[in-house]
Amino acid sequence: MVAMSRSRLLWPLLAGLTAASTVCLLLGFGWAVKDMLYPAMAEVGPELATKPETDEALPLEEATEIRIVAFGDSLTKGTGDTTGEGYVKLAAAGLRDKLGKPVRIINNLAINGMLTRELSEKLELGSGYRQAIKGANLILFTIGGNDLFQSARAANQGRPLSALQIAGMASALTETMDGFGKVVQTIGSINPDATILYIGLYNPFYDVEQLRSGSLEVQQWNTNAYAILHKYPKMMMVPTFDLFEWQIGKRLSEDHFHPNHEGYKRIAERIVSALE
Amino acid sequence: MHKLLPLIQNETLKIWKKRRFYVIIAILLALIPIFTYAELKVAQNNADKFTDWRSQVLQRMTDIENTLSSDRIPEEWKRSRRVLLGQLQYYLDHDVDPSAPNAVTFTRGFLSNSVTLFIPLLILALGSDLISGERTSGTIKLLLTRPVRRWKVLLSKLCALVLYVSLTVVVTALLCYGISGLVFGYEGWGLPIFTGFRMTRDTIDSSQAHAVPQWQYMLMMAGLVWYSALVVAVLALMVSVLIRSTAASMLTMMATVIAGTILSNMSSSWTSAKYLFAVNLNLTGYLDGSPPPIDGMSLSFSLVVLAIWGIVGLIVAFGVFTKQDILN
Amino acid sequence: MMEAVLTVHRLHKKIKGRTIIEEVSFDVREGEIFGFLGPNGSGKTTTIRMLVGLVKPTSGEVRISGHDVAKHPEQALRHVGCIVENPEVYTYLTGWDNLAFSARMLDDVAEERIREVARIVQLDDRIQHKVKTYSLGMRQRLGIAQALLGRPKLLILDEPTNGLDPKGIKELREFVRRLAAGGLSVLISSHLLSEIQLLCDRVAIISEGRVIAEGSVEELVEKAGSYVLWQLDRPDVGRELLEASGQVKFVTEVEHRLDEAVLASLPGAIVTSMPKELVAPMIDLLVQQNVGVRAALPIAPTLEELFLGMTEGERHA
Repeated sequence: MVAMSRSRLLWPLLAGLTAASTVCLLLGFGWAVKDMLYPAMAEVGPELATKPETDEALPLEEATEIRIVAFGDSLTKGTGDTTGEGYVKLAAAGLRDKLGKPVRIINNLAINGMLTRELSEKLELGSGYRQAIKGANLILFTIGGNDLFQSARAANQGRPLSALQIAGMASALTETMDGFGKVVQTIGSINPDATILYIGLYNPFYDVEQLRSGSLEVQQWNTNAYAILHKYPKMMMVPTFDLFEWQIGKRLSEDHFHPNHEGYKRIAERIVSALE
Repeated sequence: MHKLLPLIQNETLKIWKKRRFYVIIAILLALIPIFTYAELKVAQNNADKFTDWRSQVLQRMTDIENTLSSDRIPEEWKRSRRVLLGQLQYYLDHDVDPSAPNAVTFTRGFLSNSVTLFIPLLILALGSDLISGERTSGTIKLLLTRPVRRWKVLLSKLCALVLYVSLTVVVTALLCYGISGLVFGYEGWGLPIFTGFRMTRDTIDSSQAHAVPQWQYMLMMAGLVWYSALVVAVLALMVSVLIRSTAASMLTMMATVIAGTILSNMSSSWTSAKYLFAVNLNLTGYLDGSPPPIDGMSLSFSLVVLAIWGIVGLIVAFGVFTKQDILN
Repeated sequence: MMEAVLTVHRLHKKIKGRTIIEEVSFDVREGEIFGFLGPNGSGKTTTIRMLVGLVKPTSGEVRISGHDVAKHPEQALRHVGCIVENPEVYTYLTGWDNLAFSARMLDDVAEERIREVARIVQLDDRIQHKVKTYSLGMRQRLGIAQALLGRPKLLILDEPTNGLDPKGIKELREFVRRLAAGGLSVLISSHLLSEIQLLCDRVAIISEGRVIAEGSVEELVEKAGSYVLWQLDRPDVGRELLEASGQVKFVTEVEHRLDEAVLASLPGAIVTSMPKELVAPMIDLLVQQNVGVRAALPIAPTLEELFLGMTEGERHA
């Protein structure tokens, strides 16, 4: 008779459980429909759980750990490096060896084709960038290449080599420089303690007769950029033109624009040397 | 409703004693730890890579932006990425971690991922043999020679099925919470979750986005999962009336549900596919603001389409069952 | 005239354009055991299914205690207990649970009644076991218990002896007699005349979807005529003597459909068809004429014989 009393309990138990579940889910369903169709607009959300306990990094010299945040254009992303490493990872590895400190790449926020204007917007609007920059003690970035060469690349799309020309580069230069100044200023204000390295530009078309003069434009940019960075004692420019302009075949990738693995390695070495 | 309650009692007890529900619990007990482990690995991996969730979200956004800049990505895929990007930005701006690893978040993720396939399959395991099983074993004769009208017999089966659908959803959620909590901890009920994102053609409109505590979000989500599961259950019951063999009726429904999942992934070009029930099962997607598989679908659209399917299913099931001759 | 518990009136059933049941009518009276006889495929099972609402008649009606089964199944089926074909029960439940489930589908069946029917079918000691562990005979008894639960006025048993051993059949027979003695009407279908003959007060015979005869068993058997087998010492003389009486008809091997086993036990037997009351005088005559009578055996016709006789009679008429 034990079995009988057990099965007698089963039904009330099952009925109770299933009915309670049904009511509960019906409630949830109704709530979901109400909330989706007539969203409670003015309703103040629950108090946001945690305020950012920003883990502000110590300056590079005092820190026990090097925290890298990198951003900018395809160069920082590492486009063209078939191993996928790019200078950021290579530099991090180099620093780990040279300084004997743990190195962590917190973020590599580089986006292919990024323009100075876009970077400026990211820094102004996206709270994410600010957060990331605050938490770093080493910031690496590249910008400007797309602004300068975009017009040249577009203008030369599909042309025979002999007809190539540098168009609009000079005008892009002055316009973009203001943007660059703003970018640098913003970075400096977000994290005045971090060491900031800007990777300079090179002319990937040095070997093309008609485009060699672009190097002058590039140097103009580098000079202006250095002038801006110079105001901040913790900022430095890493030049790269000498690494590439005589070595285009060896250190640029197949797209004739981005460095290859070898090229990135050289950039990384420069960064390491600058920080040793 | 004379006599209906004892009939429901019969049907409920039958399903229980057939040990169908044990099977479901066993499946859940086997699967949830696997997913918990996978989730744990992801969380560990992220913890190694990122100092905090913000850099993780930021990195994810950057990766999405990089894929968006490629010309070779199909436009519709880009759309959904843009929507996701907008959401992530929103979370970042409001400083809320969208995927804080805790038991509640895990449960939320599990439920929203299982609404289109996993839960329907569990429901099919329960519902596919309700009638066809009785026919196979011959006990249908026992059932229909009693002084009870046939529609009451079917209604009692339907009620029992609905009760078990509820139980399945709740038990799935509870087991998820219980098991993953061992690893991730049992907090997270109050975590704010944003809902109410609206999709326009290309962008995400977050003007109506608002935060709800995660427990409320969970409840709403479970409610939507339940609604989907209910429609699947009704259709399974209908197929079980129409097809005599349990195996065949289960297979039919499984094929339909899986086809729906595939269709919603292929999406877009064939717009009238949005009227199929299986394409509309992903109701929780509307809650978290992922773009619908096909243009023109919205929560109210899906609810109505599913309701129509369910009602037609009921009409067919009752119509056939009450008239059917039991010849063998 | 006793009141009819079951009235079947001009039942028709068409399935996919084919007429399965045609003009089937019969009554079952209170307290009687009614045999429903027909070979497999005669429409017997379909008719029984129509009696209990499993199959809807195309036309005609079935009334149980005056209630139309198609229109008021709740009232009509209240008075019926049935086992259609095999005793179908839920094998994953215990015997008790099976009975309790059935009880919930009826009105006011007390738990005491469940115990009572379990006792009636002598399952009380195994009632808490899963049906999976039951033998076929026990399942049969459980099926009957289930059918009896609601104190029906009519019990319908479709081929109840299928799969039972001789002892089981005998027990079932006794059991059914006991139930009928208690005032219950019982309708038993079978394809074996011998079963029905021993048990039923009246029978209806169905063939190809039509009732071809209805009446008491004796009447029917009489109508079909029976055989008398003679085993004689001097068959030639005996045959002449039998023939001389003018009332004895000889039946050739081609005509009769007797069981081979019966013939084998009486080698050289002469098969005749003759009035029963002539058997005793014939024996006297044979003995007087020094023809040794080793056996004179009246044999009832088989069901097939019966059918043949009837359908032939019909055709002739």
